Amino acid sequence: MHPLRCPPFSILRCILARFRGGRPALAVLGLTVWLNSAAAATTASAPPRLNYGADIRPILAENCFYCHGQDESRRKGKLRLDTRAGQLSQDAVIPGKAGESELIFRILSEDPEERMPPLDSHRTLSAAQKDLLRRWIDEGAHFESHWAFSAPTRPSLPGVRVPRWVRNPIDTFVLAKLESSGLTPSPEADKATQLRRVSLDLTGLPPTPAEADAFKTDRRPDAYERLVDRLLASPRYGERMALPWLDAARYADSNGFQQDGDTFQWIWRDWVVRALNANMPFDQFTIEQLAGDLLPQATTDQRIATAFNRNHLLNGEGGVIPEEQRFVTLFDRVDTTSTNWLGLTVACAQCHDHKYDPVSQKDYYSLMAAFNQLPETGNVKGSPSKVRVAEPLLSLATPEHLAELAALEAKLATVNVNEKIGLMLAAWQPGAEAQPAALPKAVRDVFAVPVAERERRHTEVIRRHFIAVELPKIDPEFHQLFTRRDFLKYDGNPRVMVMEDSMPRTTHVLDRGNYESPREPVTFATPSFLPPLPADAPRNRLGLARWLVSPEQPLTARVMANRHWQTFFGLGLVKTSEDFGVQSEPPVHRELLDWLAVEYRERGWDTKHLHRLIVTSATYRQSSVLTPALKERDPENRLFARGARFRLPAMLIRDQALAVSGLLVEEIGGKPVYPYQPADIWDSLAITLERDFTYPHSTGRDLYRRSLYTFWRRTIAPSNLFDASSRNTCQVRSATTSTPLHALTTLNDPTYIEAARALAGRVLTTEKKPDARLAAAFRAVLARAPDRQEKAILQASLAKQQARFRADPASAAAFLAVGEKPPAPGIAPAEHAAYAAVCLALLNLDETLTKS
Amino acid sequence: MTPLTAAHLQMTRRQFFGRSATGVGVAALSSLLQRDLFAGLGAGGSGLPHFPARAKRVILLWQGGGPSQVDLFDYKPGLAAMRLQELPESVRSSARLSTMTSTQKSYPILPPLKPFRQYGQSGRWLSELLPGIGSIADDICLVRSMHTEAVNHSPGVTFCLSGSQIPGRPSLGSWLSYGLGSLSDDLPSFVVMTSSDQQKTCGQLFYEHYWGSGFIPSKFQGVRLRSEGEPVLYLNDAPGLDRSQKRALLDDIAAFNHHQLQGHGDPETETRIAQYEMAFKMQASVPGLLDLSNESPEVIASYGPDVHRPGSYARNCLLARRMAERGVRFVQLMHGGWDQHRNLSTQLEIQCRDTDQPTAALVKDLKQRGLLDDTLVIYAGEFGRTVFVQGDITKVDGHGRDHLGTAYSLWMAGGGVKPGIAYGETDDFSYRVVRDGVHVHDWQATLLHLLGIDHERLTYRYQGRQFRLTDVHGKVVKGIVA
Repeated sequence: MHPLRCPPFSILRCILARFRGGRPALAVLGLTVWLNSAAAATTASAPPRLNYGADIRPILAENCFYCHGQDESRRKGKLRLDTRAGQLSQDAVIPGKAGESELIFRILSEDPEERMPPLDSHRTLSAAQKDLLRRWIDEGAHFESHWAFSAPTRPSLPGVRVPRWVRNPIDTFVLAKLESSGLTPSPEADKATQLRRVSLDLTGLPPTPAEADAFKTDRRPDAYERLVDRLLASPRYGERMALPWLDAARYADSNGFQQDGDTFQWIWRDWVVRALNANMPFDQFTIEQLAGDLLPQATTDQRIATAFNRNHLLNGEGGVIPEEQRFVTLFDRVDTTSTNWLGLTVACAQCHDHKYDPVSQKDYYSLMAAFNQLPETGNVKGSPSKVRVAEPLLSLATPEHLAELAALEAKLATVNVNEKIGLMLAAWQPGAEAQPAALPKAVRDVFAVPVAERERRHTEVIRRHFIAVELPKIDPEFHQLFTRRDFLKYDGNPRVMVMEDSMPRTTHVLDRGNYESPREPVTFATPSFLPPLPADAPRNRLGLARWLVSPEQPLTARVMANRHWQTFFGLGLVKTSEDFGVQSEPPVHRELLDWLAVEYRERGWDTKHLHRLIVTSATYRQSSVLTPALKERDPENRLFARGARFRLPAMLIRDQALAVSGLLVEEIGGKPVYPYQPADIWDSLAITLERDFTYPHSTGRDLYRRSLYTFWRRTIAPSNLFDASSRNTCQVRSATTSTPLHALTTLNDPTYIEAARALAGRVLTTEKKPDARLAAAFRAVLARAPDRQEKAILQASLAKQQARFRADPASAAAFLAVGEKPPAPGIAPAEHAAYAAVCLALLNLDETLTKS
Repeated sequence: MTPLTAAHLQMTRRQFFGRSATGVGVAALSSLLQRDLFAGLGAGGSGLPHFPARAKRVILLWQGGGPSQVDLFDYKPGLAAMRLQELPESVRSSARLSTMTSTQKSYPILPPLKPFRQYGQSGRWLSELLPGIGSIADDICLVRSMHTEAVNHSPGVTFCLSGSQIPGRPSLGSWLSYGLGSLSDDLPSFVVMTSSDQQKTCGQLFYEHYWGSGFIPSKFQGVRLRSEGEPVLYLNDAPGLDRSQKRALLDDIAAFNHHQLQGHGDPETETRIAQYEMAFKMQASVPGLLDLSNESPEVIASYGPDVHRPGSYARNCLLARRMAERGVRFVQLMHGGWDQHRNLSTQLEIQCRDTDQPTAALVKDLKQRGLLDDTLVIYAGEFGRTVFVQGDITKVDGHGRDHLGTAYSLWMAGGGVKPGIAYGETDDFSYRVVRDGVHVHDWQATLLHLLGIDHERLTYRYQGRQFRLTDVHGKVVKGIVA
């Protein structure tokens, strides 16, 4: 159909289909009204003026900028269409005269030689898009720079018809959009739902039954606000809010790659939790992490903060070329900084000027210069311990620690420890071969290798075993002396990898990103399309960090306000929270985003204030019930006509299970812990035989710490924390998927079985009657009482499990034996097991796994 | 519409909203009726495959560590006469070397340890250490002109399997799961198995990101089938819970969830119901997959004596065939053991013995069952090895070959590749490609092509850019497509 003869609505459909990233479904599903100016055509008879940023640039960016954008090396026909001057050059665009503009001629041409975009680009313009471009030129070809690249100003609040609903300015923006879309907000969620939702959101833990009772009976008008203040003040808040930040900071407890040595970066993790709990203003939070070491009289804490930049992968593989690895690290720092604070992906500019966003290759390396002043080699040194850390380091060893180490070193000064061990080992070895059965399997395997074929990695296994098991029997005093020395020197010597600009280096633009092909030198500068550094700013990371949080810089405040929104609503106002560039989706609620960004910045980057604002809004407090009409109209909830509902992150699902069963140990910070995982989970790493990769299972309290503290091995992430970020590179948005493997985890992982048993033990002890017991278990998990139908399911479920376990006591005993904690005393095993099975079902309900 | 179908529909719809425009995005609407929770985009009318596929599924026999093409695949009769002569400086300096040999003082040429001989009608020259692969010489397409950018293992493997040397991109198998969806109702579409040489000399590790999904949803990542303990993590029911009890519990969970759905109306709840059902089915289908009791003794024997050892390469080869039969889209069988820096003279033969027969048996088994036509079997490692000696030639256990990225060999069979050919050529030292070079991205483009996918059109929008397996490179190698 020719676009000009197309009825307006069909045109709109096509437009929408192409516009929202080519997703016809949105138009089909009727989600049309909220689209920006083009969409207003549905109601107005005369279409309003087109908006360049919302209507035109996305078409040009998607279809034209690849060859006619800012990448000079790729530019065809010396034409660029991403700038005003470029558009006006070569008569590409003649404002007001589409018919005479080359651009229109080219996109309409039937001649494959002339036609744009060319065939081999795999891009085509729809008739509707062509029509939009024509209209835009006829209307005067209005041009504006990308919305996210000019600093936000506080928008005035829109008028609303039902101001009664509004609790704070967030609601004004949301309601105005709902009203103009012909929608109304959902009713407020019931109290129990609100309590569970806000508790999970702010602390990552569900409310206790006692808290549920207290809130239910609290009739004060500000009961909810009081609840929010209590949650914001809880130390659990910092633990919860650290999670997305750790993902962004690609935090892990090991280096990755072959050696995958352990690190002490958890010292930084604790800094994050402390800073969040103390509500450190976000500008300070930024400056200390990027450049705390460069602050005047930097404190130890400020230096620890800079470990943010050292949470990268480190490759200790045999043949690595350190300089190449050093550049991999530098690239990672630039990418992490720009994704995390600027919401821009600049990695393309490693090799060439960015195709879409105005980031040049020179910009990229100029930014990199800030991170290129470290005495780092790109290598990780081996050590006789499982720890592998790379300079620069900050040791937190106490004076007592150092004194003890020095004393031991002095005692061992005259002893060649290795030689001495070698001699004793040689004397022991033949005997061991005679009785290999007594040895651990790994050692026996090595003894099975003929002596002539043994390599260092084999002999290392024997040596390790000898030192750990045999030597203490032969010479306990010597053993104690040097193992204590080694411990104080390595595993027990907390050294966090930090930043330190003590090695000035010249940074070059690298030809095609190749570290072996340096081109012209560059000095540190911020990307040229953004406001410049103040003249007096230091030309280093500190200057960069301050610039990132300066009021003129348009991105950071928006990017962070958006990420906070994402934490509570599942989706950001800009859905692509990692990308605010010209290819990103124009936000539905741009005014709201700008308002939040300005509010955040002007209120001194007060994160708790922003969180309080969000969770006390009427928008947040709505019921999440999905009506068929809303499901049709706005399946993704971009307009917020209802509350958010989405599956909890796996870490919080585990924490919740520990909390509701009473197992959770609420202890803040410290070394990583090793909760239940299959004992052989790291065995595939032990293939090297170079170090011991036995999973060092925790016992006691450490089994029940929050998931935040679970040791994160980069090469093998914790097996029960599904859908987690990779913790290899910066990730600011995580996927939530549903696979059968997740269900297997929450049904069969000992964590959940033990939690179910512990919960059953509690209700069997505290309540007397079956119904009361079942209701108590239900309330513990879901913070609400079961309804009639749910009670019936619970009763029937219990009856079935009781029948089976009564008939088979051995099974009951086996089921109750899962996990380290003994079952609660004095309960008949069949009873206990039956309740535990029902509790396991409760831990697996959709409602349990979901924030509603 | 049944509730389950509706659930799938909604799930895919959500997933659909998470991505964008060109090619795939537009196509995705029609993927709404995928049949299981591992479903991807592919389905009738979705635009995928982009053109008729030659292969429906892939079995990747990963030879980790870098098998020596000098000794096994790339026949250079002239080398024998150059034994221990210095490799010309002009040749050597054309390749970037790992730091293990870049400081070596001399670079003497080491000819293949064992003679080559001709196999099959095609008269293919292969090492006499490979009688098994020789016996399928007329079925394989040998590419002798591979080259890569990496000189070390992890970056090299990551590059081959994800198109980038840095971990974080979706792996090959997850791209395929995403693009083509699943062929199975009760098994994942992307399964990984690992094995290593029995002597554990190699030191090659298998990182999760080798089968990770990077920035595309994690349901597309490979599922690792383990050889010890539970075959799939958390597959087994808790001790003391039998199947009927578990069934009853799942029914109760479903009853709660249906109740929840009535009140709340969130289609995610339907997805949850389907998710738990499929978990229950998988608990039966995985043990069924592993149960070899209905395999004939002849077939089992054809894979060699190692097949009886769970976790061996041979066992994994047999399981790969069973997975192909059951609709697993991408089997990634990863074997370590080829990194022979210092133990070439002892380990090369052992490695060949462990892998040669099972590899050939797999291809023959597939062929005999009519599965080879639409199954693409790939035998590849991350790079090749140097013609010169690393280490001390006078020590039996002290020398070998270093990594070489500029030239190496791989082969493919079935699934639309030309059988019985050798493609490409290297120089006299098997050191540089001189004709018909195939870059890793070209190989990836070709592989996708065989599966009916235009590598430039299978994209995923992330961080403002359309990502694809082949980055911004890659050309389909027409010369090897049948």
